[in-house]
Amino acid sequence: MNNRAAETPRHIALSNCLLCAERLSKFYPDGRVQALDDLSFHIARGEYVAVMGPSGSGKSTLLNLLGALDRPTSGEVYFEGKPLAEFYPWDRFRCEQVGFVFQSFHLLPALTALENVQIPMLETRRSAAERKATAEALLELVGLASRRDHLPQALSVGERQRVAVARALANNPPLLLADEPTGNLDSAAAEAVLDLFARLHSERRLTLVVITHDSALSRRAQRLLRLKDGRLIADEPAGGNGPASRR
Amino acid sequence: MRSALTIAGVSVAVAAVVALVGAVGSFERQLLAVFQNRGIDLVVAGATTVQRLQSSLDEDLGRRIARLPGVKHVACALIENFSFPELDVLGVVVRGLEPNSFVLDEVALIEGRKLEPGDSDAMLIGKVLAKTLSKRAGDQFELVPGRHFRIVGVFDSFNLLESNSLVVPLAALQDLMDRRGKATVFMVVAADSSQAAVESLAAQIKPLAPNIDVLPARQYVDSLIEVRLARAVAWFTSTLALIVGTIGVVNTMLTAVFERTRELAVLRAVGWRRATIVKMILFESALLSMIGAAVGCAMAWLLTQLLRLTPTGRLISGEIGWDVVAQGCVLAFFVGIAGGGYPAWRAAKLLPTEGLRHE
Repeated sequence: MNNRAAETPRHIALSNCLLCAERLSKFYPDGRVQALDDLSFHIARGEYVAVMGPSGSGKSTLLNLLGALDRPTSGEVYFEGKPLAEFYPWDRFRCEQVGFVFQSFHLLPALTALENVQIPMLETRRSAAERKATAEALLELVGLASRRDHLPQALSVGERQRVAVARALANNPPLLLADEPTGNLDSAAAEAVLDLFARLHSERRLTLVVITHDSALSRRAQRLLRLKDGRLIADEPAGGNGPASRR
Repeated sequence: MRSALTIAGVSVAVAAVVALVGAVGSFERQLLAVFQNRGIDLVVAGATTVQRLQSSLDEDLGRRIARLPGVKHVACALIENFSFPELDVLGVVVRGLEPNSFVLDEVALIEGRKLEPGDSDAMLIGKVLAKTLSKRAGDQFELVPGRHFRIVGVFDSFNLLESNSLVVPLAALQDLMDRRGKATVFMVVAADSSQAAVESLAAQIKPLAPNIDVLPARQYVDSLIEVRLARAVAWFTSTLALIVGTIGVVNTMLTAVFERTRELAVLRAVGWRRATIVKMILFESALLSMIGAAVGCAMAWLLTQLLRLTPTGRLISGEIGWDVVAQGCVLAFFVGIAGGGYPAWRAAKLLPTEGLRHE
């Protein structure tokens, strides 16, 4: 168990720590449903972490808090040692520091793969030519250069998810958060996505936090966080390469 | 389909603005041109008459005005409106003028002759009205039952209003309308057209009779109840159409925001600012409205051509000024912004976590 009753530091001094959750709790608006209960952990820069737990254990809520999509009822998330509150407005934080991958891909159906990848870049000062070049390079990276002008419905589900990964990397964020990224994929497509994650982790030193029910995915991560009823019940090394973070 | 209907709604609103406001504007411009193109500096009309075209002034006032220093010409006019339902022609302006009036000096005759002193049953007819009534010089025209006039000349005019009018001797019209010695307006040309001289002349004319207004042509046209009513009706109708158009845009954009909730949530999740979402929704609604404006202008042109086929449509020039088109486009743009405002606010308020759960 990693719940800590220690005093919450305003600035976390651990230089290698990218994300730090300190005593996170989340109640939903009626105040009766507690999705997270006093969660604390650190994630080091470049770490590959899987989060597992039964439905309703608070996994997606945790991901929302780590990605500044929602705010905790109490506790604090620190990013590079600073509380997320200091990064407000969070739109910019999400734009520059976080890439999201969703179970249902959430690509815009009217846009081609190339255009979908450029969406996060529209909030930056990059020129149209730069945006296009970056998107092309990212589609190349995920092995979809030849599918760049296809609409999502013309792509297989596995290809859609790889486009979504390319979109998540558009602004070169240090952190990638994925919510059940292989949940809608067949085993071959899931394997391709997991290979991609592994490459991103090893080659780009990307920090990955992946929610999953997929034990194959969790085995590829370096570290596994297990949740149950909104509580962290285990923080243990998984089967992946590289050192697990130290608290 | 929904967007097409919204475009249709906005285009009807813009068509109403462009066609109705444009038609009224064109009528005003032509009326003003009647005075300005003859160098008329002042118009003298009854002050207390709600409908100035029915004002009744003593003809003798014209002679007293003419005696004032600084007056170059004075024309006395009795103006009446006639309709000929059996000929399907309504609202024909008949002007009673003295045959030697300066107003008739530059009449461009295309057939026959001008009015001459001593004419009692002679009539000039504008070219467009002559064509509508199939009349030419030498024909008889029954102005009121039992009272025939002989058409002595057909004249052309730069002005559609004049080209659709009849001119008869002042005395003949006074007799016909039982308004002997009466006039509707006096048109005054000053010897010196500078503003100071005209203002000074107006000040001299004013005391010559009780309850008269002495106005520059622009002000006189603006003061006509017919013009003001037409303007008010045109704007009222247009405003209603614009409100309906705005409601259409609100409905379409709200539905679009609802249907695209998850899409908007994704955009927020990947870092789009609220302001960017607002701009995107407003851009979409403004684009819908501007497409509506383009279609509306085309519809307005068509509507104007159709209006010209109505019994009073002879007075509509059929030309649509760029100023009115610009007015319609600006209003359409504001319809887009107003119609998109609330949906954009709703979209910006959306929490990404809620939106991503939306089915």
